[in-house]
Amino acid sequence: MSEMELPLVIFTVLSQTAVGLVAISAIRQHAAEGPAGSVRPEWMTAALLLIAGLVASLFHLGHPLGASLAIKHLGSAWLSREALGTGVFTALVIAGLLSARGRVNAGLSFAAAVVGLIALFFTGMTYSPPGFPALNNVMPFVFFLLTAAILGAGFASYFTPAEKMPLITRILTVSLIVGLVVYLVVPCLWLSGGTVMRQTGLNYISSPLYWARIIAGLIVPLLAVWRMKTVPAWAPVLVLAGEIMGRIAFFSLAVHASANMGGIY
Amino acid sequence: MACKNQYHQENGVIWRDVYELKEEIYPHRERAFYSLACNHCENPTCLNVCPVVAYYKRDADGVVVHEQDKCIGCGNCIRSCPYGAPRYNPVLKRAEKCSFCWQRLDDGRKPACVLGCPTDALQIVDLAEFDEANAVQYPAGFPRYPALNPSVSFRLPAMPKMIRRKL
Ligand code: SF4
Ligand code: SF4
Repeated sequence: MSEMELPLVIFTVLSQTAVGLVAISAIRQHAAEGPAGSVRPEWMTAALLLIAGLVASLFHLGHPLGASLAIKHLGSAWLSREALGTGVFTALVIAGLLSARGRVNAGLSFAAAVVGLIALFFTGMTYSPPGFPALNNVMPFVFFLLTAAILGAGFASYFTPAEKMPLITRILTVSLIVGLVVYLVVPCLWLSGGTVMRQTGLNYISSPLYWARIIAGLIVPLLAVWRMKTVPAWAPVLVLAGEIMGRIAFFSLAVHASANMGGIY
Repeated sequence: MACKNQYHQENGVIWRDVYELKEEIYPHRERAFYSLACNHCENPTCLNVCPVVAYYKRDADGVVVHEQDKCIGCGNCIRSCPYGAPRYNPVLKRAEKCSFCWQRLDDGRKPACVLGCPTDALQIVDLAEFDEANAVQYPAGFPRYPALNPSVSFRLPAMPKMIRRKL
């Protein structure tokens, strides 16, 4: 992975955590009976994650001062749409934080969650370019959605009252199971693709980073929440480490189409 | 060399590269190559993904021009182009690529690479009229991206004649 991409690892993981946190907060406050939980600190965390992610994203630009120009090409560039979507999402989260009185207004909560998911879709499209055949499909969006679900549920557990912990535990358990299946199956599917896609699959299954992410970021937390029937305080930290490893793998193990020029595709 | 003489790119920043055909495609080693740069695609992904509109496509001849002063160095076009044409200039911290010597074209001259090639392996053709039986758009060893529709055509390499002495 080039050093240019480390800021992208931080930006994508943190912003997707914020999307998951806000979406789960909206559901927990307004679609489930009972106390709302610590909503203000939760939205404060989401806002801080987003701001930290946006600052990190500047470091991936050769010319960070030009960042505001990145919304110039909304007509066709997913990166412009992503920049706008993430900006609007951040504004909605800050508005929710400032207006929260025990709960964030239901309309604002769900509006923020929907805009966050749309921004996440834009991010998925940005990172599925033709240059990487293994990623030139819906998979980046699926990976990012899983990050939002897993980390969103994990971090939401810190702000959830005991009455609603079973709901959060269920969401995290299901997300971890789906994540485990997807992350084990997808590299195997890549193995049946053309030369470049197959090489991406081989890079994954021979990478200690990939297996460390599977074991530490998915299997261990899954066994913990399954056996303990709740989310232990250490689990979200482990899951975050796993997602960061997974994102480093995403940016460093995929093979570019031009790497095989002159060979059979 | 012709390209480097014309533009003096930074070391390691290569706009036109020469790729050897692997033996699985062409059985005689170091006998057949592709000389590749930007293909000035009909539907250029570099242009489509650039968030600051640093690319434009010329109406008259379809040349895809990169305006480096507008580039903020996000790397999106570099990731996106499957032909590896845009490269990162670590000194300027911006992308750059072959813009088909458009200033030379406007001056009625050929691009530096076309002019400099001693074997005439590179030629400018009008693809709307170019109809040669031995030419293809996607030869083996060249990525196939119909959605981009690269504006190139390749004459396939002939097999060398094997001359053996009679015993
Ligand atoms: S080859 Fe790449 S850089 Fe050149 S026009 Fe096509 S997409 Fe753009
Ligand atoms: S690196 Fe420059 S030219 Fe390429 S997409 Fe980013 S801003 Fe546009």
